[in-house]
Parts: sequence; C-alpha cells; structure tokens
Amino acid sequence: MPDPILEIDHLSHEFAGGTGIHDINFQVCAGEFILLAGPNGSGKTTLIRHLNALERPSSGVIRLHGRPVTANLMLTRKTIGMVFQDADTQIVGDTVAEEVAFGLENLNTPRAQIREKVDQALARINLSHLKDRNPATLSGGEKRRLAIAGILVMDPEIIVLDEPFANLDYPASRHLVETICRLNRDGQTIIIATHDVEEVITLASRLLILDDQGRLVRDGCPADLLGCLDRFGIREPCFSRMGYTVPPWQT
Amino acid sequence: MADLTLFSFNAGTTALHDLDVRVKTGLVCILSMTLFFAGFSACLICFLALYPLIRSQGLTVLHLITRLKGFLLLLIIMAATRAVTVPGEPVFSILDVEITRQGLAQGTLVAARFFLVMVIGMLFAVTTRPADLKRAAQWFLAPVPFIPEKRVGFMISLFLRFFPMILAQAGQTADAVNARCGGFRKNPVRRIRFLTLPLMKKTVMAADHLSLAMTARCYTENRTDPAFEPGGKEWIFLVAGAGLCLGMILVSRKSFWMIFW
Repeated sequence: MPDPILEIDHLSHEFAGGTGIHDINFQVCAGEFILLAGPNGSGKTTLIRHLNALERPSSGVIRLHGRPVTANLMLTRKTIGMVFQDADTQIVGDTVAEEVAFGLENLNTPRAQIREKVDQALARINLSHLKDRNPATLSGGEKRRLAIAGILVMDPEIIVLDEPFANLDYPASRHLVETICRLNRDGQTIIIATHDVEEVITLASRLLILDDQGRLVRDGCPADLLGCLDRFGIREPCFSRMGYTVPPWQT
Repeated sequence: MADLTLFSFNAGTTALHDLDVRVKTGLVCILSMTLFFAGFSACLICFLALYPLIRSQGLTVLHLITRLKGFLLLLIIMAATRAVTVPGEPVFSILDVEITRQGLAQGTLVAARFFLVMVIGMLFAVTTRPADLKRAAQWFLAPVPFIPEKRVGFMISLFLRFFPMILAQAGQTADAVNARCGGFRKNPVRRIRFLTLPLMKKTVMAADHLSLAMTARCYTENRTDPAFEPGGKEWIFLVAGAGLCLGMILVSRKSFWMIFW
C-alpha cells in the first residue's frame, strides 16, 4: 500500500450540546475517489473543513505527508483544494479568468505563469470559451466547474468537494460527474462530501459513512455497502433498490 | 444599450475601453476639478468635447436624459433653490418669492457642472471593469504611507462584486415577506424589521462563507501585483485632456484665479 497523503488520527470536534464529529480515523492515498456520505448534521462539512485546516480540532490530529496540517497552512491549502457548496459566495473575480487566477495571485505566482496556468485549468475543465464572461452570468453547473478550475490551477494533490450536486439540474450534474471522473482518471485524488450518493456511488473507489452522531461507522468499498445505506439515514440509490448492482445506464 | 444602467460596465472595444485605467482615472479627476470653476462657455466646450465619446458608447442626448432623469430632477431642484435664495435683480416673483437673475444664472451653472461631472462618471463606469478600478486604486494608493493599498484595492473589488448580490438578496427577502402578506403591514418599523434583519443575517453569512473560501485559497495581502494593459493611445488622451482643461481654465480664468484668494 502506498504512503498515505493524508492521515486523520482520532479527530474530534465538539460543538456545544455534544454535536460535532467524534474519533474519526482514516487515511487518504493518491488517486483515490472517496465518497463521504451522511445525513444532514452528521458533520461532513466540519470534517472536510478540518482537512483544509479551516477549523481546529478539539482533539486528534490530521497529518499531510506526515506533518500536521496546521504546521504550514499555505502548503496545506495549496495541497488540499476545497470546493464549497455555495459557488456564488466563493466567487471573487470579475471574469472567469480572474476568478481562476485568484489562488495563484495569493501564491505570488508571476503574472506570465498565471496566464499560462489559468488557460490550462480552463481547458481541462472545458471553460475556455467563457474566459472573459462575468461569473455571475454562468449557470449553476458552470459556476461549480469554475470553482473546481479555481482549485485545479493551484495543482492540489487532493480536491475536496462539499455537496457538489446540490441545486444542479440533471444535465449539469452529469457534466460535473464527467468532469470529476476525468480528473480522477488523470490521477487526481477526489473526496466528495454528500448526503445523496446516487450520482457517484458506483464511480467512487471508497465510501465513508458518518452517522447522525458524527461517528465514522463504515469505511469500505461502495459495492459492499450497497443495501445498508438507509440504516444510516442515506437514501439507497434507485438502481440498488431495483436489484441492480450497477446503474443500468452504466452497463 | 437599452439595458444599460447608470453605473454598469458595458463590454466593448472603443478607445475609452482600451485606455489604461490609470490615465482614465487621472483624466476624470482633473476634468472634474476643472469643472468646479468652469463658466458657461467652459461647460459648453467640455460637453462638445465629451459628445463624440458619448456617441462612441452608442448613447445620445436623449439616452442621457432618460438614464439620468432622477439626477436631472435633483439638479432642477438645486437650481430652483439657488434661483430663490441668491439675492440680486428680480426677474419675477411668485407668492412673494423672488426669483433673481443672479440666482438663476448660478443655479443653472452649478446644475450644468454637476451634470457634466455625472456624464464623465457615467462614461468612466460604462467603459471600466470593476477589476481595473481596483487595480487603479491599488496603484494610486501604493506611494501613500500607512495605507494597505492591496487590502483597500481588494475591499473595493469585493464591494463592487457583492453589492449587486446584496441588492438581489434584498429583493428575494422582500418577495418572501410580501408572499406572506408582509407588505400589507401598516407599521413601518415592523416592515423594516422583517426586511432588514433577515437581509443582514444573509449578508453576514455570505461574508462568512466568502471569508472561508478565500482562506481556503491561501488569501494573503502579499499577492501578485496587478497587470495593466495600455491600449497605446494614452498619450493622445492625456494631451487632449490636458488641452481641454487648459482651454476651460482660460475661458473661465476669472473664476479660476478666485480659488487662490
């Protein structure tokens, strides 16, 4: 087994009233496609914010290549790219190209290199034709892909997406799934936090389930966990309910 | 152009669009300052000089009047106030209120100056991207000590980016309140409360999300400096602008020297 990029070691984050996440342990290796599933309030967003060192744990530690994520915040945030649920409130650029360039400008990258990398990132995510558009005029799916491009341009080792399919229509969801799968095929490590696993469960290599108490109750192959998702407050995918092992449209 | 609002950027390839934003900002400043002591002739010269630029944006005098109608009304009120408050030779009187020749002249002149400043501002807004404005602010503030120019520039950019979003949220909140008959409430305090509190909450939450998203992308004040892309006609505009200002000063030299007294 290759050395893990990320190690989550007995991580807990307590909120007032006893909610939060409790004693979470798992590792993330290069090239994995991890689905982090759980009902609302199970602590998915809290957990992935810890990966990016946006929160400080009550106890436990997260190590990036063996060093705590808090040791070098700039390196942590460059290595673990985070795409938030609400694309509208994270877009800061006046144009698509400027939005993608934001992270590189923060890393003090020379302007010529920024232009080159922005073009590459937009091409990877099929947004080159919208380069000069105002992000506010993009569709929900395009905004979500733009947010991914804004992360991709910083060459992260892991991309973490929080509820990427929320509020997207079917074509936009499919397009986004294709984009994420293509990135994963190219070797990008992906972590998706979601309460609805329908779109990507068969594409993920690993499924982590958080229960409503914020505990990691399952960590395994998605195919092995099909059939028991309802028990943890996660909707069983339609194809699984209908007795298929993979969605008919993927066979 | 029909959907163009007063201060919205309209993408284009005109000379004004291509002009370096620093030169554009400088020209707006010196023209606006010159207008403060411009007489009628200088105002007319300024308008004639600006008219080709106005036309280059696809605007006509009629467009200006319709788009600036609220502002024009304000100018008329301002001119009327001057006409009745400045003492001088009466032209006519209504209900014991005397309208003086000097008051009319002063009021009209002040209104003309403000109108021209507004037209210059509109031309600037229509041809300048908010990001360029941020860059210019950062560049102009860089030599000023104790002012974090990068932070100020970024704040300007965020304000311009999020102001329309706050307005849209205000509209959504108002719709949600009205959909539940909140619009029928007679008490203005309660009406404001039901609109402002949810709006403030949404705005603060959006700001919180934005701050997290920026932190996640390594936001720092020590960022790559902005890049300017001069269109190549900067010197022509600078010389023409300086010539226009000089001409306006010469035409209104009496009022110009008054500022030194």
